[in-house]
Amino acid sequence: MRLLPLFLYLLLIAFHQTILRDATAIATVSIDLAGFVVLAVALYKSEFTSLWFGFLAGVVSVAAVPAEMGWNALVMAALGWTAFHFRGRLNLESIFAKLGLIAGGIFVHNIALIILRGGDGFLIRILSDGLPGALYTTVLAWLFFLVKEKRITFEKIKPLF
Amino acid sequence: MNLISNLSHKNWRTVNLALAAILALGIVFGKTSVAPTLSDALLSTLYYPFHLVKSYVVELSQVNDVNQQLATELTQARLQLAFMGEIQRENARLRNNADFEQPPRFKLLNARVVAVTGNGLPVSATINRGSRDSVQLNWPVINRSGLVGRISSVTPDFAHVQLLTDPRNRVAARIASSREMGIVRHVPGIGMTLASFPNQGNVSLGDTVISSGLGGIYPSGLQVGIVSSIVRPDNLPYAEVELTPSANFRSIEQLFVLIPENQP
Repeated sequence: MRLLPLFLYLLLIAFHQTILRDATAIATVSIDLAGFVVLAVALYKSEFTSLWFGFLAGVVSVAAVPAEMGWNALVMAALGWTAFHFRGRLNLESIFAKLGLIAGGIFVHNIALIILRGGDGFLIRILSDGLPGALYTTVLAWLFFLVKEKRITFEKIKPLF
Repeated sequence: MNLISNLSHKNWRTVNLALAAILALGIVFGKTSVAPTLSDALLSTLYYPFHLVKSYVVELSQVNDVNQQLATELTQARLQLAFMGEIQRENARLRNNADFEQPPRFKLLNARVVAVTGNGLPVSATINRGSRDSVQLNWPVINRSGLVGRISSVTPDFAHVQLLTDPRNRVAARIASSREMGIVRHVPGIGMTLASFPNQGNVSLGDTVISSGLGGIYPSGLQVGIVSSIVRPDNLPYAEVELTPSANFRSIEQLFVLIPENQP
């Protein structure tokens, strides 16, 4: 039963890559859901789970591009493992500390993907895709933590309408 | 065993890290078939239901586009029909004034092909309409593309259609633009031809051939085919004109029997 949520997260990543990614992209900037899920797992689960879930998420998220699969698995596994160790230095009560970890992690993942994919204009791509992508994903993470920590609830939203 | 167990327990972090790194690098540098096989396996399992949903949504959006296009075409056709109605009324008035006989009008009876016969190319079709539906001998049969044939025999529930591909079938026809006449018949091994067409007759490639209304079976104006080849032999009175039939006889499914409007 402990594996079921992790399997559902992998399904969510596949769903995002297939349908949601294009639908939620703003110009060339898209949400790095796989990176976010790996970091979120690292925030709440064990070191072993963080490492291997990162590995699997890395494989699943680029399933359509076999050439990137191995490297992405390595980067995501390292990301999950590093985030797990980094969380010990964070005040996990603070939503901003978690958002900082998410933003930094996604930015690093985006840089790794840009290096992996090669091509010209490294700095331009970091500024046009990598950084905005990290910020966009951080906004999603902020909403996620607000809901998870019950700072946003249906009862609070209902009076607005 | 105990020693190995203790060692792996103490170093489980290193073991896991090394294992993850080896697996990842194995996918990168391993046999060229590892990554594509893994990719295929994931795409056909985890991704498959979402691909299905996506293709369904894409298909729906395309259906919507086609629907809009059809709606536009329907509006254009209705507009054209309205103009045609006006022209028809004017034509009837003029015919009346000139004491011309009014041309016959027809209703459509929808029919489905239940069997075809013929060696390769069908020459006869059986439809699911018969004398119970008031179908009678020699009534013309068309489909969306043009003239298909005529009713050659009728039973209470079914009728046989002699197709234009039957060499015994003849259609009195004319070139739609020049109005010059000939007889359409199917010649085995050659295809549909416009026979008895004058060698010096006015015909060009791509001209539309329609029924002329002579002969008493097929009404005038039904599209029969398009001129695909013309040969004018020097010492013969008739040209050899070949046609591409308007109807595709290899894929006939839905047909319409033309019922004269004066039928009860």
